[in-house]
Amino acid sequence: MIQHIDVHAALQQSVPGFYADLVTRATGRAVREHIERRLADATVAVIDFTGVGCLDYSCADEIVAKLLRARVRVLLLRGVSDAHRETIEPVLRGHGLAAVIERPGGTLETLGPSESAAALVDELVARHLATRTPGGAVVLTPS
Amino acid sequence: MTRLVEVPSQFDDRTFDQFTAAFAQAISDGERLLFDAHAAEWASPYGLVGLLAAGQAAGRGRGEPPLLTAPTNADVLRYWGRMGFFQQAASLFEIHGRYPKAKPQPESDVLLPVTPVQAAQDVHEVVSRIQERAAAILRTVGLDPKATMGFAMALSEACQNIVEHASTGGWVAVQTYHWRRRLARQVVVIAVADAGVGFRHTLEATESRRFADRWGDAAALEAALIQGVSRFRDPGRGQGLKGIRNYLARWEGKIAIRSGTARIAIVPKWDDDAALKDGLPLFPGAQVLIIVPEQGSAKP
Repeated sequence: MIQHIDVHAALQQSVPGFYADLVTRATGRAVREHIERRLADATVAVIDFTGVGCLDYSCADEIVAKLLRARVRVLLLRGVSDAHRETIEPVLRGHGLAAVIERPGGTLETLGPSESAAALVDELVARHLATRTPGGAVVLTPS
Repeated sequence: MTRLVEVPSQFDDRTFDQFTAAFAQAISDGERLLFDAHAAEWASPYGLVGLLAAGQAAGRGRGEPPLLTAPTNADVLRYWGRMGFFQQAASLFEIHGRYPKAKPQPESDVLLPVTPVQAAQDVHEVVSRIQERAAAILRTVGLDPKATMGFAMALSEACQNIVEHASTGGWVAVQTYHWRRRLARQVVVIAVADAGVGFRHTLEATESRRFADRWGDAAALEAALIQGVSRFRDPGRGQGLKGIRNYLARWEGKIAIRSGTARIAIVPKWDDDAALKDGLPLFPGAQVLIIVPEQGSAKP
């Protein structure tokens, strides 16, 4: 089962005040716990960052890294800005973890150390969640 | 009896240790302190939040607050008021002299007035407020609008050091100004200060053995800023300062952190600051200075 999570909505429901920024470890923890309750038994999750402003390292670690470490095998990130990407990438590298970003048009970009990223792509293909194009790109399999 | 601590007439990171030397000497005998700022001609955001931290430390555990004589120069008073200094100082000091009591109005060069930071909620407020104005202001220093998020991230991480490690509250201020004397360029400055436990105390349990005889304030700062060490064993910890460094490296920025008796800096090529200073006068907590200079203009 693939679970879709709207991170902005999770933020609104987890933290008092109407904030758009994922900052501070306390907020990251609250949002992750909210997401974990939504995930139930899902091992593949689509996490949509649309509407999220600033993302700091503490939140990237609490949400993306800890979900990958403890709850899901595959994390597909949507709505990720360049600034989000710049924060998430070093956090994943620090943990030796990989995730994929869905780009407009459905192509996938891996984040994280190359070995972990390659293993993740193999898993996506094996699960029929993604396919390799003749040009070498990896795209989401139409559902 | 009252001990006098003179506030330097030009009060910024360069003169801060002149101030801390007077502070360390005056506070050692347990008397009430009088911070004399009457002759102040200028104070940077770093000077202002540092003065609040000194007031916080001087009032701790004492029945009466320290004294503060306000600047007499009208322009200086206006500026300190505009920065929101007196709003925060009123709860820490017994202030002598006339000073503006009105709430600071939004000003073009004050990105964020002196703002207290105690909890995660405060960091959210700071990051939200800065983004309302940051994109426009950062453009004036030639930063790509995309740099706004990185700037907010750096601000968030700097403030979180207070929330996570200081064991007390602190203050942050952000301002842009033309740094004529040193750089002849526009700069954006983040200043964060607290009078909490400091980096050495925070890292003592996990790092002191590794550094052995070298352990002290300087080693603690080196561990935190250069090695990205945190008191938590979790590999995801300690990324914040590293993230700030990466952001500043891209924009030729500077970070300096003073804690206890030491000060460490990542020094860009436009500056001649020392990378590490040890044996400074003891000052509690941690004081962080982040400078992002105007891009691609006058050669320093």
